[in-house]
Amino acid sequence: MRLRVLAAFSSAWLISAVTTAAAFRDPAILRSRDPATPGLLVSRQLLQSRHLRIGDIVQLSADPSGANPRPFRIDGGYEPTPDPARFAQAHLEARLHLPDLIGLIADPADPAQAGTVGSINVRLESPADAPAFALDVAARLPGTVARPTAAPDERNSPFVVLERFHLAIAVVTVIGSAIFLLALMVMLVDERRGTVGTLRLIGLTRQRLVLQVLAEGTAIATAGAAFGILFALGAEGFFNRFFQWRYDTALVFLRITPRVIGQSLLLAVPLGIVASLVASWTILRQPLLGLIRR
Amino acid sequence: MLLRSLRLAALSLVRQPTRAILGVLGVAAVGALLFDMLLLSRGLVLSFRDLLDRVGFDVRVLASDSPAFSAPPMPDATRLGRSLSALPEVEAVVRLRFEDVEIEASSAPASGDDRPDGVPARHVAGFIGAGTTARSLWTIVEGRDLSFDAAGDPTVIVNRHVGQGLGVGPGSSVWVRGRCAAGSQAMPPVRFTVAGIADFAYDSGGASTLAGRLEDLLRVCGAGGADVADLFLVRSRVGAGADAVAARIRQAHPELHVLTNEDLVERFSRIEFSYFRQLSVVLATVTLFFGFLLIAVLLTVSVNQRLGEIAALRALGLSRARVVSGVLVESALLVGAGGALAVPLGAALSFWLDGILRAMPGVPVELRFFVFEPRALAIHAALLLVAAIGAAAYPMWIVAVLPIAATLRREVVS
Repeated sequence: MRLRVLAAFSSAWLISAVTTAAAFRDPAILRSRDPATPGLLVSRQLLQSRHLRIGDIVQLSADPSGANPRPFRIDGGYEPTPDPARFAQAHLEARLHLPDLIGLIADPADPAQAGTVGSINVRLESPADAPAFALDVAARLPGTVARPTAAPDERNSPFVVLERFHLAIAVVTVIGSAIFLLALMVMLVDERRGTVGTLRLIGLTRQRLVLQVLAEGTAIATAGAAFGILFALGAEGFFNRFFQWRYDTALVFLRITPRVIGQSLLLAVPLGIVASLVASWTILRQPLLGLIRR
Repeated sequence: MLLRSLRLAALSLVRQPTRAILGVLGVAAVGALLFDMLLLSRGLVLSFRDLLDRVGFDVRVLASDSPAFSAPPMPDATRLGRSLSALPEVEAVVRLRFEDVEIEASSAPASGDDRPDGVPARHVAGFIGAGTTARSLWTIVEGRDLSFDAAGDPTVIVNRHVGQGLGVGPGSSVWVRGRCAAGSQAMPPVRFTVAGIADFAYDSGGASTLAGRLEDLLRVCGAGGADVADLFLVRSRVGAGADAVAARIRQAHPELHVLTNEDLVERFSRIEFSYFRQLSVVLATVTLFFGFLLIAVLLTVSVNQRLGEIAALRALGLSRARVVSGVLVESALLVGAGGALAVPLGAALSFWLDGILRAMPGVPVELRFFVFEPRALAIHAALLLVAAIGAAAYPMWIVAVLPIAATLRREVVS
């Protein structure tokens, strides 16, 4: 079996080896216990898609044509760290020890390559110094790029943009919901025109009726918001399982956090109360005789 | 019959204007969102296809199925390029190489420090090393294009971002230092003259891009890997077709990965853009259900409030079909008016949403997420029609089975 390493780059302690589908057509897989054969780890997705097993020997080559392959033994499988930026792509990856990778890709004619890495991860004693350290490295080593791993809140990062998009969609949905709610309340209040007239006739003041409507609106809005949150909590698992199955990833797509619940309540309950009041006011401000159709 | 039903429905709506207006506005809001989701569902794919077609090449040849900028280079590129050009179905072949470089204006401080106004003295940019006939990859907006014939000083064209960021324009000099493969950082910087400012077809908003001749890129990166290419762009002859050319190349070079524009579009549609397609399906379903619910509730409550009136009309001689069709037409009027309002509202909304999404890094400036096509309008109308019929079904059934005498008696007694 021939496995091509088409691109090998990443941090100093691991590599990602992107593989092609064509490289796995030959099902003949050797198995070996030879301790001299270097080991590697293979992603779960690659193991499954190519029916590989722990202990199998695979051939890796740095050449796209598959020339000069070297044997590696699969020592284990791993679940790739979920990456939201690449969730739609199949994680067909392998990880090698750095010396093995360098031995695989280095050009014998260029000894300098043996001492070359794509990137180096550095853990600082004080993580707060990361920005200053990155600036210092960039100044001292021209041609290198040093970045803190805890990226600042870039206002144009894909997820911030997506968050803005989802918020915009939510705003439009809320506007639609508000109109729906208002229409519903107008109809309900209209249906109770006679009842309101009767209550006014037996002596209930407008203020009392407004308070009653307010209490009723609060109760309905709270119950509606609670139902919506419960529905969302129930749907959370379904959506996550569906998308995790669809994209073969451990990524969590939907998470109902206390903050989300708080935002929903803050938006839905006042909206419901306002809709109740606006709809009721159209009836309450009418003269008593108009209410009882006299 | 239809006109009579229409009149009956219109009178019912006019009699309750607040309810009717809120119904129309509600449908307009959800209809606008539905329309936008339909534009989004295929917008990226349509826009991406248009972008690929505009560049004028219909086949791409790479070493692997990795994206163009991360695919490994193809060795023996000169021979490979000749081999591709020799195919009878091929009209033109462009050899491309992509490398990261650092670029700074030659007037920048020698220390490489940032300018006093905080503008970085150096830009990390993508250098496109191009063979001849690559001009359709960019559009010159100032100055002149690269010269592939003259053997004089090396020239580059830069995009607006680099031009503005470094304060350089046509005729300016810049230093370019390679950040190419291993060991290239030891290469000395090369001085280039900026020939022109250009818009690059695949540039994202904040991208720093420059293009020069392949041989000049070799001067920047060193001779290592001189005869390699990251990508070949191939244009098929008129009448030959991209599929035929791709098949011939696959036959001649089975070790290479050959993609037509259609293959790329299909792949992006299936993988990279699938999130937006699925999001649009989910939201379109939710909004459609929401619209259905809104109209169904409005009509049901409205009909329930008018049961006595409907029974009286039936008693006066109006046929069951006419009263039932009146409810259907009432639903159609609400959805029709709301749907008509939804199209311009949705179009305006799509500009806003498109502006938000296009701020995403790495997205080509020319790419659009929301693209109008007549098909979207037709589907929008069809879905709203289905929603109108579905929403009217229950109130129509109430009216159809309404017992006339019992309802009138109940009305009188109450």
